Amino acid sequence: MIVPLNHILLLSGLLFSLGMFCTLARRNLIMMLLGIEIMLNAAAVAFVGASLHWQQMEGQAIVIFILAVAATEVSIGLAAILVVYRRTDSVDPAMEAALWEKGGRP
Amino acid sequence: MQPATPLPLSLIVTAAALLLPLLAFGVIMLATRSRHRLSAAISIGAAGLSLIAAVYLLVQHWQMQAPLVFQTVWLVSGQMAIPIGILLDPLSLLMLTVVATISFLVQVYSLGYMAGDPGFGRYYGCMSLFAWAMLTLTVSSSLLQLYIFWELVGLASYLLIGFWFDKFSASEAGKKAFVMTRTGDVAFLLGLVLLWLQLGTLDIPVLTDPAAVAAALSPGMITLTALLIFGGIIGKSAQFPLLTWLPDAMEGPTPVSALLHSATMVAAGVYLFSRLFGYFSLSPTAMAVCLAIGTISMLLASSMAMVARDIKQVWAFSTISQLGFMLMGLGSGSLFAGVFHLTTHAGFKALLFLCAGVLIHRFHTNDMFEIGRLGGRRLKATVVCMIVGAAALSGLPPFSGFFSKEMILGQLLASGHPTAFLAALLGAFLTTYYAFRLIFILLFPLETDDAGHADGHGAHHGAWGERAMIAVLVCLAGVTVVLGFFEMSLHDFLARGLALDEAAPAHFTWLPMVAGTLAVAAVLQAWFEFGRKKARQIGWVERIPILADLFGQRWYLDRLYRYLLDTLVYRGVSRLFTANDRRVIDGALDGLGRSTIGLGRVVDWVHGGMIQYRLMIMVAAVILLILFIGWGG
Repeated sequence: MIVPLNHILLLSGLLFSLGMFCTLARRNLIMMLLGIEIMLNAAAVAFVGASLHWQQMEGQAIVIFILAVAATEVSIGLAAILVVYRRTDSVDPAMEAALWEKGGRP
Repeated sequence: MQPATPLPLSLIVTAAALLLPLLAFGVIMLATRSRHRLSAAISIGAAGLSLIAAVYLLVQHWQMQAPLVFQTVWLVSGQMAIPIGILLDPLSLLMLTVVATISFLVQVYSLGYMAGDPGFGRYYGCMSLFAWAMLTLTVSSSLLQLYIFWELVGLASYLLIGFWFDKFSASEAGKKAFVMTRTGDVAFLLGLVLLWLQLGTLDIPVLTDPAAVAAALSPGMITLTALLIFGGIIGKSAQFPLLTWLPDAMEGPTPVSALLHSATMVAAGVYLFSRLFGYFSLSPTAMAVCLAIGTISMLLASSMAMVARDIKQVWAFSTISQLGFMLMGLGSGSLFAGVFHLTTHAGFKALLFLCAGVLIHRFHTNDMFEIGRLGGRRLKATVVCMIVGAAALSGLPPFSGFFSKEMILGQLLASGHPTAFLAALLGAFLTTYYAFRLIFILLFPLETDDAGHADGHGAHHGAWGERAMIAVLVCLAGVTVVLGFFEMSLHDFLARGLALDEAAPAHFTWLPMVAGTLAVAAVLQAWFEFGRKKARQIGWVERIPILADLFGQRWYLDRLYRYLLDTLVYRGVSRLFTANDRRVIDGALDGLGRSTIGLGRVVDWVHGGMIQYRLMIMVAAVILLILFIGWGG
């Protein structure tokens, strides 16, 4: 194996941090969803690297599951965001919170 | 204490007599309170069965030689075993019968008096509670059991005096009665605790056995405990200085007053004294104190009664003075004189109150001048019964009061208390005077305004209830007329079972003459001032302003208590408690409230619904967890 495991884990951690930052800091539901996708993929990278390192196939199988979950999550998440957008005319998570606080059902 | 041969039947009958009113109370209060007729039927039924049981017991044990004691252990705690049981001897049997009779008659009477009252069911529930407490008190075999029911009697009378609790004065009167009797009960309880510590038992048969007590206690201790217990009697029987609650207790319904004044609440005090007569007579000091308190209360209360305008208050004061009279008889060393007067008094005092109740019910006023003006004398049966009662109260022959009063007077003279004897004669004179003052005011009003009143008013009440009331009056009047002639047989009954070592009651042939003459003189004076055609209906007391003021203000006893209450309780103790309440308790609660609000603000920010903050907290928590595991593990 040419690339050492450490480098792969470093890449995975970097990607995960970026995704987390995106999820926590961006005031846009779509970007938050994107951040979550990035975090999932970071985990997938770590799995593939580990699977190569120890020469075991289970890690790659898990990655296939992760892809399926990610696809589902994106489709449901986008649908939910679409509903929110139709109701509030925005994709800002703070707007959503403000509506909840007023006691109205968004 | 020798347990007599077991007589299960007597035990069962007594238990039934005691438990039926309790059962009635429970059923009425839990289930049938809102159904008036049913409640009344249950209560009266229970009282009637109790009466039958009591009479059966009295007849069954008429020849009884030794007391019957049924006792079982109620509660064991370490070294102490608290017994509960029934003590049947002539004294308790007599009292049981008196209480059952009066409470049954009063409950029947209440059918008419309380008809249409919204609290009818509750009234009968409380009456049953009252009857149960008093009946069990009379047959208690130990002082502790007696004390429990003593307090229950106090509770029941509190409930009944404050029966119309939406009237402020009534609820105040209930409280006053409860608190004042409690004041005496504190002394009573202290006496009980002392006795328990010294003697290790509170069984009445042990306490009344002179040999056993004298062996275990020093004379000083006997006097101390006797005086403490006597404190409870002072409170319960409304003797000086705790007598002011009784006139206020008139706020309750009139049948309640009748019950309270004749056979239950106030009689409990005198009954306790006669129950512990053997114990008290071991201490000459206690007997002397009892005699003195009785004399003072009798004179004070008679003087107050001479100026009262409220018909019920006159009888209330006369109750205090007659109770004082009983205590004089007991204090001078004759159990029978006191108990006999207690019995006759129960009959005629219930009669007087119930007559007053008919008048009040009809004319809606308590003022005797007003009742006279509205034509109280038109109610012939009631007025005749009232005259019978007043004559018995005054000790005119041949009514029951004559016999018992004459016996107490004779006893006072025979036991060498000439001062008390003269005071008693004076008291008897005053009693007759105020009793007939009331009668003459009713009979010969100065102006009348009774056209159509007497008949018009009663029409809207059920005739059936009215008839029940009159029937009860006639019953009681009959008892009052004949009871005096049973003096000797009652004496034999008591002497047989209690092993009294007193001889037949002292008789002075000249005494009935003197007492009778005095009573007649008092009647004549009352007639001269209130009855004759040209009388201005102003008594001699009212012509002396100082006396009228003193008597009318009840010797300023109420003012004194109010002053003491204001200075000691409200300004002293209450203020400390208020400060404690404001600073410590309120402060702590406020602090708790404020910190909860502050915490709420913090939590509110977290719960803002902003999803990203939640995520941040979650991430932070996970990072901290990883760090913790990484370093710690």
